[in-house]
Amino acid sequence: MKMFTLAIRSLNRNRRRSIVTLLTIAIGFSAIALFAGYIHNIYEGLTRQSIHGELLGHLTLSKRGMSVEGKLNPEKYLLTASDVINLNSMLKANSQIKLITPRLSLSGILTNGRASTIFIADGIDPEAINILQEGFQTELEKQIGFGNDYLKQLDAQHPDKALFSKGLIPLMQLKLGMQIPLLVNTVYGQANALDATVNGFFNTGNAGTNDKFAILPLKLAQTLYDLEGGADRLTLLLHNEADTEMMRTNLLKQALAIGYDLEIKTWKELSDFYNQVYAMFNIIFGFIFSIVLTVVVMSVANSMAMSVVERTREIGTLRAIGLKRSGVIKLFVTESLLLTSIGCVFGLIITLIIRWCVNMARISYIPPNSPDAVPLLVDLDIERITLTAIMLLLVGTLAAYLPARKAAHQPIIDSLGHV
Amino acid sequence: MRFPLIQLHNVTRRFLLGETIIEALCKVSLTIYGGEFLAVWGPSGSGKSTLMNLIGLIDSPTTGEIYFETQNTRQLNDNELTKFRGNKIGFVFQNFNLIPVLSALENVMLPLQLRGVNTYTTKINATRILEEVGLKNFITARPDKLSGGQRQRVAIARALVIAPKLVIADEPTANLDSNTSKVIIELMREMNRIKNVTFIFTTHDPRLLEHVDRRILLNDGQIETDEILQ
Repeated sequence: MKMFTLAIRSLNRNRRRSIVTLLTIAIGFSAIALFAGYIHNIYEGLTRQSIHGELLGHLTLSKRGMSVEGKLNPEKYLLTASDVINLNSMLKANSQIKLITPRLSLSGILTNGRASTIFIADGIDPEAINILQEGFQTELEKQIGFGNDYLKQLDAQHPDKALFSKGLIPLMQLKLGMQIPLLVNTVYGQANALDATVNGFFNTGNAGTNDKFAILPLKLAQTLYDLEGGADRLTLLLHNEADTEMMRTNLLKQALAIGYDLEIKTWKELSDFYNQVYAMFNIIFGFIFSIVLTVVVMSVANSMAMSVVERTREIGTLRAIGLKRSGVIKLFVTESLLLTSIGCVFGLIITLIIRWCVNMARISYIPPNSPDAVPLLVDLDIERITLTAIMLLLVGTLAAYLPARKAAHQPIIDSLGHV
Repeated sequence: MRFPLIQLHNVTRRFLLGETIIEALCKVSLTIYGGEFLAVWGPSGSGKSTLMNLIGLIDSPTTGEIYFETQNTRQLNDNELTKFRGNKIGFVFQNFNLIPVLSALENVMLPLQLRGVNTYTTKINATRILEEVGLKNFITARPDKLSGGQRQRVAIARALVIAPKLVIADEPTANLDSNTSKVIIELMREMNRIKNVTFIFTTHDPRLLEHVDRRILLNDGQIETDEILQ
C-alpha cells in the first residue's frame, strides 16, 4: 500500500511531466492499436475474400503432383468420376466438413465473332457456389452493399449459363443472354468448342484477372474438357476455420488408408495475395511498433531518470531509515508501471473513440491492384492490443529499473549529500 | 549500570577527491554508552558528519572496527545493515529530509511500514509519538505546510517511532532560529530522559552544548577533547 501511495503521489508531484509522459504512452498505444485494428480488418477481409470470395474453401485436395507435373500430363493426375465418388464417401464421414465439391479449371479462347481473347475458367457445382459464398460479407458490408459485385450465382437448371468477369464486358462487348463460343483443349488434347450463355458478371477483386475470368457450371466444364464426372480437385469448406490444419493431417491419413496419395493445400497456401499482403502489413506493423515503442521508452526513461535524480536525497533518506536497495527499485518500478498502465488505459479509450469515428465516417479507398473502392474499417485486435500493453509495461519497467538500480546502489552518504 | 552501545576501535575514514586522498577521520577510538545525550562539535571539516555517518551505519570505515552493542558491523552485508538501522537507529537530518508527498503522520509511519508492521499499529504508534512531540494538531499536514521547527519535530518523531537504541542527529538545528533550536534540543533531551534513548548530535552552536551530558570536540579528524558534564 505504501509503495502504491508513494508512487501515485510522486507522479502527482511532477504533474506536468507525468501528463506529458502519460500522453506519449496513450497516443503511442492508440497509434499501434488503431493500425493493428486496421490490418486486422484487412486480414479478416482477405481471409473471407480467399475462402468465400475466391471460392478456395478451407482445403483443396488433388492427386499428389497435380500442381506441378499435372500441368504437363493432366490425364495422369486428374480425379476420375470413380475417384470423386470414392473420396466423397471418405470425406462425408468427417463431421467437421460442411461442403465437398469437385472443381475443374480450364483455359481457352472465347470469341464474339469479331474478336477473341483468352480466358481462364473454373467449373463448379451451382449449388456449391452458393454455400461457399456464405459468410463472404459482414453484416455491415451487406447493409452498405459492399461486395455485391463479387457474388456469383450459377443457374442449376441451365448448365450452359456461365458468369464472366466484368473486365470482359468492354473487351468482348458482352451482354446478358448473349451466346458466346468457348474453345478449349480437351484432356486428350483435341479442340472442343461449346456455346455458353452470358448469365451474369462479377468482380474478381483483382485487376490482373478481372478481364479474363469465367465461372462455369461444373457440367459445362466437364463437357468442354471431355471429363465426364471428373475433376482436377476437391474443395472442402469446414464448419470451423481453426480446424484447417488438423483436418489436413487427418484427411491425408484417411486418404492413404483407402489408397489415395493426395496433396492437400490450405487456403493460405493457395492465396498468394493473402500471403503477400499479410507479410507486407506485418513488416509495416513491426516498423511502426518499433518506432512508437522507441518513442515511448525514451519518454518514460527520461521521465523516470529525471525523477530519480531529483529524488536522490529522498532515496538516501529512505535507505537510511530502513528501505532496502530492492525497495528503491520497487518504488520506481511501481511508479513506472502505474504511469504506463494509466497511459495504456487512456490509449485504449482514445482507440475506441477514434475507431468509432472512423467506422461511422464510412470512408473508402481503392487499394493497389483492386478494381473497386473498399471501406476503411478498424477492428479491435485484442491479441495485438494485449501484446502492445505487455510490451509497453515491460519496457516501462526496464526504463525505470535501470536508473533506479543505479540510485539504489549509490552510497547513502552520497545520496543524502545530493543537491 | 552503563553499557557500551557503540564502540569505535581505531576507525579511519578516507575519501578520494579527484586524485587526492582526504583523511576525514584518523584512528578514532570511542565508546558511547546507552542513554547518553552526547554532542559532537568542532569546526567545519573536522569530521563530525563523517563520524555520525559511521556511527549511524550509513557509511563504512576505511580501517578499524565499529561495534553496535556486541555486533561487529563490518560483518553485516547491505541488507543486514539496512535492517539493523531500521530496527535500532533513528535519524534526524539538518534539512529534515521528510518525504514531501506524505503527511506528517505518514512520514512518521514510514519507518514502521518499512519494517512490515501492520497499518493499524503503525498509525497508533505514529499518532502517539506525534502527540509527544507536540504536533497533535498537525498530523495531516504535509511538510510544506509546517514551519522549520515543526518539520524537525516530525523528523524527531520519525526517528523515535521505531523505539530505537540510538538517534543520530546531524546538525539538527542548523536550519532553525536560536529559539527554535533551543526548543528542539530540549525536546530531544526530554525524549532522551523519558525513553532512555541515546542521542548523538552535531552542532556548531556552543549555547546548545550546555544541555548535554557529554561533548566531544573533533579537530582535523581526531578527538581533541571528550568531556563528561554532570
